[in-house]
Amino acid sequence: MIDEYKNIAPKGDLMLLGKLGETLRSRSFLHVNSTREGGGVAEILHRMIPILRELGIDARWEVIEGDARFFDITKKIHNALQGNEEIMTEQMWAYHGEVNERNAKKLNLEADAVLIHDPQPAALIHYRKGGIWMWRCHIDASGPHMAVWNALKRHCEKYDAAVFSVAKFARALPVEEFIIPPSIDPVSEKNRELTAGEIDEAANRFGISRDRPVLLQVSRFDRFKDPIGVIKAYRMAKKYNDCVLVLAGSPASDDPEGEAVLNEVREYASDDRDIIILLLPAFSDRDINALQRMATVVLQKSLKEGFGLTVSEAMWKEKPVLGGAVGGIPLQVVHGVNGFLVHSTEGAAFRIRQLLTNPAMAKRMGERGKEYVRTNFLITRQVRDYLSMWYAMEHRGKRVLDL
Amino acid sequence: MPKSFEFKQCVTLLKSTGKKAGNLRELKDALAQVSDGAIAHHTYQYFLKGHILEYTNDFAHWAGESIEERALAERLSNIDPYAYASIQDLRRDLIGAIDDHLTAFPEPRDAMPGDEFHFNETVMLVFPAGVRARNLAEFLMAMKYAEASTLYYHFYDARVRLGNKTDDFSQWLEDGMEKPEVAARVRSIDPFMHTLETIRERIVDAVEEEVKRDMESAGVPQ
Repeated sequence: MIDEYKNIAPKGDLMLLGKLGETLRSRSFLHVNSTREGGGVAEILHRMIPILRELGIDARWEVIEGDARFFDITKKIHNALQGNEEIMTEQMWAYHGEVNERNAKKLNLEADAVLIHDPQPAALIHYRKGGIWMWRCHIDASGPHMAVWNALKRHCEKYDAAVFSVAKFARALPVEEFIIPPSIDPVSEKNRELTAGEIDEAANRFGISRDRPVLLQVSRFDRFKDPIGVIKAYRMAKKYNDCVLVLAGSPASDDPEGEAVLNEVREYASDDRDIIILLLPAFSDRDINALQRMATVVLQKSLKEGFGLTVSEAMWKEKPVLGGAVGGIPLQVVHGVNGFLVHSTEGAAFRIRQLLTNPAMAKRMGERGKEYVRTNFLITRQVRDYLSMWYAMEHRGKRVLDL
Repeated sequence: MPKSFEFKQCVTLLKSTGKKAGNLRELKDALAQVSDGAIAHHTYQYFLKGHILEYTNDFAHWAGESIEERALAERLSNIDPYAYASIQDLRRDLIGAIDDHLTAFPEPRDAMPGDEFHFNETVMLVFPAGVRARNLAEFLMAMKYAEASTLYYHFYDARVRLGNKTDDFSQWLEDGMEKPEVAARVRSIDPFMHTLETIRERIVDAVEEEVKRDMESAGVPQ
């Protein structure tokens, strides 16, 4: 499996993976999360566990079980960490603890290193049987609802280390804190190379004319992704640059406003035949891949964002990206190098015009974007970082480690 | 038998200190408290990012871009971390520059929420790149294909390891290969005005010319 990444991932990352594999050979590394299917964490674990095993590490992945009441509670915790006002009663926390305790009795938690993903299984720390325990927070916890954070913190501060995706997502904790960004898998269905035939087939099926430049935003129909702002920017740019706009995504199933936002977008697009709104079902990875590959410019004009991995996905396909300067987007878009960070609809329109008028610049930015992703946001780098963190935790206090 | 040059690579793992600053006073206070590792990360390791734009360290970058204090950004950019014998001295001058600025402009703006300065530090993992050069020609080939982190480790990080005097490449060229002129050319590359890629080009140019000269003087047809 590692062979699939040869000639794709940086050679140095693969060498270090090999070295870390030799050093940590036959030792056990347990991941625990709350779902086997759906969501970015499960998606990456499906790929990461076989890679770890191939490196000689005894990697396991356990999933906690809970009922609807438990997942209602953890949804509230998730939303509260992102800043929503949520009421969490002592009874709710007690139930969260009970479900964790029940899982702790069923699961084999013995391992040399244990990585617990997100708040759902965070209370498992109270049942540790040894090894190094690390809590991985995939959520932007920079501005949480404080009462909920303070309650969750009782678990987090018992760990040996915490991991956040971006420095600004992190909360101060009295434990070691690592910053490890998420990643994309270059050989997955969403990111693998496609043939010209596969791209053409998708374009025909979706009715996208490719005789003019294609602007694309892939995102849920959610106000924070600013789809109306994207249409406004497209209209401003279209005055001088004929182009088509594709808005592709699914209504946010966990967002009651999703349907309303989609209707607003449709109404705002009105009868403009050059605006194509695509509602994609779940697991449309190959279609998203094709759309990104047929695009001339990719937008992620979010007003609020998590890490925003769609940016890296587009950059991997050598597309210049216009991104809102929020969440993890500035970590991926180096302004003026591989794309542009924009702060307004007018800014987005201006940069679209710039890129459509200057294809050579767009091409150069796209090429740099792919290299930037190759160095920073591939799954091999994330595996490397997890193993490096484990190794660093076994040599706590050292700033330089020779392998 | 001259000593061979072992190419190494490094990878840094980012750690958060949990400290952040939303304005210059907070930046100054935090600068006085954070670890030496955090100061080193935001100054020496700036070059590991690869895309050098207007500034030479993270503090200058934040001052210029996030709070738009251009004069301070210029002054901070002009601080040469390699000129200091210790991080303590570097820390003192960074704080001094901010102090002076606050005296002249006592009401600087705050950063926008979400755009605060976050103090980080790193753990560096160093490992062999699997390449060893026994002569100048082998060194040249290895330089052409070395990964960016190899260049960083031997060109930038070496200055800290070797007491800010030199880099691994020029030291080997001088001591191992007895090529003081090439070593001087490498040493004269301004570390602040280049990306890792343009540093590679400069070193390759310098070494390539010397290899050609050696071949000419040995009568090897080209």
